[in-house]
Amino acid sequence: MALTDETLLGAYKKMLMTRTLESKHKQLLAEGKIQLMGHFGRGQEAVSTGITAPLRKEDILFGTHRGVGEYIGKGMDPKDIWCEYMGKRTGLSKGKGTLHLTDKKLNIPFVVSSLGADWSMAVGAGLAIKMKKTDQVVLYSVGEGTCNQADAHPAMVMAALWKVPVVFAVCTNQFCEMAYMSEHFPTPDVAPRAAGYGIPYEIVDGQDIETTYEATVRGLESARSGKGPYLIEYKTFRMELHFTGDPGGYVRQEDLDEWGKRDPIDIAQKKLFDRGVLTPEKDERLRADIAQEADAAIKAAFDAPFPTEEDLFTDVCETKGVF
Amino acid sequence: MARTITFMQAINEAMAEEMRRDPSVFVLGEDVRVAAFGQTAGLVKEFGPERVINTIIAENAITGVAAGAAMFGFRPVLELMFCDFAMLAMDELCNQIAQFRYVSGGQYPCPVTVRMATGAGFRMAYGHSQSLQSQLIQAPGLVLVETSTPADAKGLLKSAIRSNDPVIFFEHKKLLLGGVSGEVPDGDYTVPFGEAAIRKPGKDVTVVALGFMVYEALQAAGELAAEGIDIEVIDPRTIVPLDKAMIFKSVEKTGRLVTVEEGRIRGGIGAEIAALAVGEYFDLLDAPVVRVAAPMVPIPGSPVLEDMYIPNSKSIVKAVKRVLERG
Repeated sequence: MALTDETLLGAYKKMLMTRTLESKHKQLLAEGKIQLMGHFGRGQEAVSTGITAPLRKEDILFGTHRGVGEYIGKGMDPKDIWCEYMGKRTGLSKGKGTLHLTDKKLNIPFVVSSLGADWSMAVGAGLAIKMKKTDQVVLYSVGEGTCNQADAHPAMVMAALWKVPVVFAVCTNQFCEMAYMSEHFPTPDVAPRAAGYGIPYEIVDGQDIETTYEATVRGLESARSGKGPYLIEYKTFRMELHFTGDPGGYVRQEDLDEWGKRDPIDIAQKKLFDRGVLTPEKDERLRADIAQEADAAIKAAFDAPFPTEEDLFTDVCETKGVF
Repeated sequence: MARTITFMQAINEAMAEEMRRDPSVFVLGEDVRVAAFGQTAGLVKEFGPERVINTIIAENAITGVAAGAAMFGFRPVLELMFCDFAMLAMDELCNQIAQFRYVSGGQYPCPVTVRMATGAGFRMAYGHSQSLQSQLIQAPGLVLVETSTPADAKGLLKSAIRSNDPVIFFEHKKLLLGGVSGEVPDGDYTVPFGEAAIRKPGKDVTVVALGFMVYEALQAAGELAAEGIDIEVIDPRTIVPLDKAMIFKSVEKTGRLVTVEEGRIRGGIGAEIAALAVGEYFDLLDAPVVRVAAPMVPIPGSPVLEDMYIPNSKSIVKAVKRVLERG
């Protein structure tokens, strides 16, 4: 089953916006215009978009710090992302979270700092859904490195035990922070661990948006129908270093060359050309529009006001007298 | 007409009444259906297994589960059994739950109540006996409750469950298992955070005692009274927020301050209260503040050694005399 033209084009736009925002972030850092470190996900856009674009607004997303793909995918406004990124008062979290993006109206609780602290929160959110008896699903996005975090184990045990509607979306980008995955995993795949908990799983190509999107839809349908958790491992490659302070030097050139041949945006673009949905001229216009929207979002963030000293002490507690 | 109930019953009634009142309240933890100590006894019978959830043995992860449910409309009451075990859940408690509200700019309050037993004296050695309140005082966003009477325990636990802030609720084992009882008001009532209680008024020395140490302080008060020394015993009831005004008012009267806790002395709650007094009303103090707390050693298993470890009325009497001799 292929994606409809409309869905494919929509996903393509999100992938483009993700890459555009991240490359602008990288550029602004290089120019010394901003201070916020970046953890970019170039090359992984078919995963970040493919796991989030199929979500309904009421579905809950626990995302990662790897770029903005998951947030753009679920519908976060680039202006909201950038106001928060820059620590502005108009940010979704009033500038107090910055890269720990949160958007309550989209059911996106904030990105945790201690990797994997949210494994169990995702299960708790799933438990809440089950108790409320709604047909929402929790999408837990996680990198393979964080699958070694201790809480992965009890979280999957409880998810399976309580049959909560959680889709564990594992983005295997071949790197665990600043080392190849092979230094962190005794096996080539992560997903078969799910079998130990009785959780159904699949392993899919992470470069083709149609493949990632459809796998996610299968996972969501399974979880939504009350069958409990589902795990999907998406195989991709991180074309950027772990973060902007990463000294690098550990990535093999032949891997970059090899994976570069299957760039997810190129693959999606070719499909759209082949279907006649896009022409090179239309594509150029589309990209220019996206660049313009990204620039406008970033400019709005630059122009927005910073928080005040008063804001330092708000939102800590409702209880009085805690200072 | 007021009833007399035990501390254990007070905890149990608070949870049951809140579960009856609010369908979003549920209880989870290891062995809560069986009720290992007894606080959750009977809850599964009345509310069913969906609202009284036995968890696996994974303290950090079950704390995260409570957090996740709290972010999406529920008011979980999590039992972590022993505060020693809470150390396994420090990431969720201090890095995550405590700071959710702030880091999300107020978008995600986290109304979790985490109950845990505290205290030594049951010959359970180093890992089931500690009083680790001071480990949690550093996390901004947490409310810390520890009190000494059934009436306060019930009213404060109800406040905790209704609060939109995460609350850590300490229950001393001697209060739970020692059959401490007291009168409680009839019907629904709550006790607010941040209001200390004077357990015994006095004019010579202010003694701020936490949890079960209130009883040791009251015993010390009796012994000291025989020698003509009149101490004032304050139970802060909540460590965060702390009723600074009441402590201030008392020290204004006595000019002398002793803090008493069962936790260890270094970086303890007493250190915080002492620093507050010295920093904010040094001029009122007629003598240096004296802290009564446990020594910086692990809790020994031997009954003889454990008894030496735990602060008691004798150590309080000694501290009061010391604070009176100086200055």
